[in-house]
Amino acid sequence: MLKCNSLTKSFDKKLFSEFDLELEPGEIIAITGPSGCGKTTLLRCICGLEEPDSGSIYLNDKDITNLPAEKRGVGLIFQNPVLFPHLSVEGNLLLGNKKGDVAKALEEVGLSEFQNRRVESLSGGEGQRVALARALLAQPKVLLLDEPFSSLDDELSDKLVQDVRSILKQRKCPAVLVTHNKIIAENFADSVISL
Amino acid sequence: MKLRLSSSCAVIAYTLLVVVPLWLAIDRLIWVAGFDPLGWINSLNGNYISQGVVAFTFLQALLSTVVTLVIGLPIAWQLGRYKWPLQSLIKATLTMPFVMPSIVAAMGFLHLIGPSGLNIRIDDTTWFATLIIAHAWFNLALVIRFCEPVLSTLDPNLEEQMRLLPAGHSKIGRFRNLWVPLLAPSIAAAACMTFVFSFTSFALVRWITLGDNTLESVMANIGSSAGIPNYMLARNEIILGASLIQFTVLIASLWLMSWLQHRRQNLLPQASEFTVKRVNHSGWMIISPAVIFALSPLIAVFWASFRIRHTDSTGTSYSWETSGWEFAFAGSSSMSSAWDALWNSLGYAMITLCIALPLGWALAQTILDVEKERPKTARFLDVLTMIPFAASSVMIGLGVMLGMIRIDAEFFYSFWPTPVIAHVMITTPFVVRIMLPALRSLNPIYDECAQTLGIPAWRRFMSIRLPLLRGSILVAVIFTLAMSLGEFGASWVVTRNSDWTTLPIMIDSLRSIPYNNTYTAPAACAVSSVLMGITLLLFTWAEKFRPARDGGMF
Repeated sequence: MLKCNSLTKSFDKKLFSEFDLELEPGEIIAITGPSGCGKTTLLRCICGLEEPDSGSIYLNDKDITNLPAEKRGVGLIFQNPVLFPHLSVEGNLLLGNKKGDVAKALEEVGLSEFQNRRVESLSGGEGQRVALARALLAQPKVLLLDEPFSSLDDELSDKLVQDVRSILKQRKCPAVLVTHNKIIAENFADSVISL
Repeated sequence: MKLRLSSSCAVIAYTLLVVVPLWLAIDRLIWVAGFDPLGWINSLNGNYISQGVVAFTFLQALLSTVVTLVIGLPIAWQLGRYKWPLQSLIKATLTMPFVMPSIVAAMGFLHLIGPSGLNIRIDDTTWFATLIIAHAWFNLALVIRFCEPVLSTLDPNLEEQMRLLPAGHSKIGRFRNLWVPLLAPSIAAAACMTFVFSFTSFALVRWITLGDNTLESVMANIGSSAGIPNYMLARNEIILGASLIQFTVLIASLWLMSWLQHRRQNLLPQASEFTVKRVNHSGWMIISPAVIFALSPLIAVFWASFRIRHTDSTGTSYSWETSGWEFAFAGSSSMSSAWDALWNSLGYAMITLCIALPLGWALAQTILDVEKERPKTARFLDVLTMIPFAASSVMIGLGVMLGMIRIDAEFFYSFWPTPVIAHVMITTPFVVRIMLPALRSLNPIYDECAQTLGIPAWRRFMSIRLPLLRGSILVAVIFTLAMSLGEFGASWVVTRNSDWTTLPIMIDSLRSIPYNNTYTAPAACAVSSVLMGITLLLFTWAEKFRPARDGGMF
């Protein structure tokens, strides 16, 4: 499924070196580590927003290391929900898939009736659900999650962790979560790796 | 780092369109006059045409700056600190003079102080005072735009905290320890820009004073005989001397402005306008006269377009007619009609827009792309795009004219779009200044997020970038159109040897006709009213789309 071979990346300091990862279909893994250890950069390298210094990335046995981000089929959910302020919830979702079933996608994340809402009226948790619905509507081969629960309060975070996990499992969508919170990592993923 | 193809094209196009004509012009002048910078400057006082011009230019610019601040600061304070009914309309009215073509302002003030208005036009002193007031009218918007946002959005906790400290117990203490330090960079930046605009004033000086000249108007007046070998050589030296002084002063002012603006943008704790502003009824004593001051010259122009003077053996009488409008739109064998001028102006403005908008946008994007990895290159490009600001419109006009003579005079003088070159030179830096802060404030995470959704580059541009930048793009479009339509200095120099009359040139030509023609002054006001109407329409439209806290000055 997703395979990272000897990924190395450094900016001013070395972030990660010779990092290997193998993700099976439907598997969810979590990567933990302290702030600044390169968790986010690793996800950005996998989805194509950053270039690794060396190493290669394969998706379904195809080398995607040099493919632009939009052609990889890898989705990413950012730490804070990135919703386009000039579009409604529906408009944001249609960006993921022009012909997608918006109502069904919103229902899946527990936000039925939110179709015509303006994005600025959403709470943090609702925004993150919309971002998830949009990412899933794009039907990614792998979904990457960059600490999407860190800005939410504990109760909401626990609920969203369970909800997102069950949606991903239902869809058999493989996912990689990075977080500094080991409890969230253990609750969300099938296995946990330290960076 | 890979530079995009569009970036390379933009830099090359800008160099060809803007830098090369100016370089060709200077090269031509030096070729004719010889390289002697001190001699050029000395020639300004050694020649009767330009005697005293340097002193007059500095004096009127300094006085105009002081008077603008004296009038503008209380208005900015009232607008920024207190709630007003019809607040946005008041703000739009008070900032509107800045976008009015300077020749319209000149016509407005001429009629306001002339026999049909207040009738206070007496001697040199009243002319000079009128010029200073007209500059203050024109630049009032700068003080408001620079200072009002600081006042209206500053977190009130700062003032509340200051009240509780010994240094801020009194109003004077708070003024000295809070407001002066916070407002100083904005006031200084507004003063710098006011000085620049007053220093390069042309239409107002040309029409309001009794034959006084600034460096700008001297260059415009003698420009037609420049660049010709063995012909009036002293005039080339005067132009070079005037350009040298003007360029140095403007570069220094713009550098200071840019430094101050950078300081101004250092983040201050901000709050919503609703929590900052209070009600203040006595402030109407400042706001009402300010609104009347802003509107008077414009009303005077429109008013005067219908007032026809009749002189016969029994004396002078006036009647209300539309003959001035008819005269302007009918045209004659020696004067184009206002329709021709309107079509020329609209044509030039549209072509200017088609070139300046993509060019300015691409340049702004280039500066943004290179500034992370090559800050020095970005700074160089930034300064390069500001060259026309430091060159003034008449210098640009001369640049285009002398550049044309150098390349192929016959072709350019018969080529209708020639004035567009000058308009592009003048408007492109404004597009860069509007688009650069907008592009800087566009969070790259939107583009990254769209990439991870698999959206291709073209669709990302159309459905994400374009809508998010819509406000700034529209402001840039409207500003470019308004500036091109009202451009006077450069067009006056470039079109002098052609038949391509624009609206501002037609106003100037009508006013230049001897006063014994009853219809010329009302006709000039009629054409001014047309230009004023279009500008007002564009300005109102721009205000609607101006992004909140855009950080730009326009």
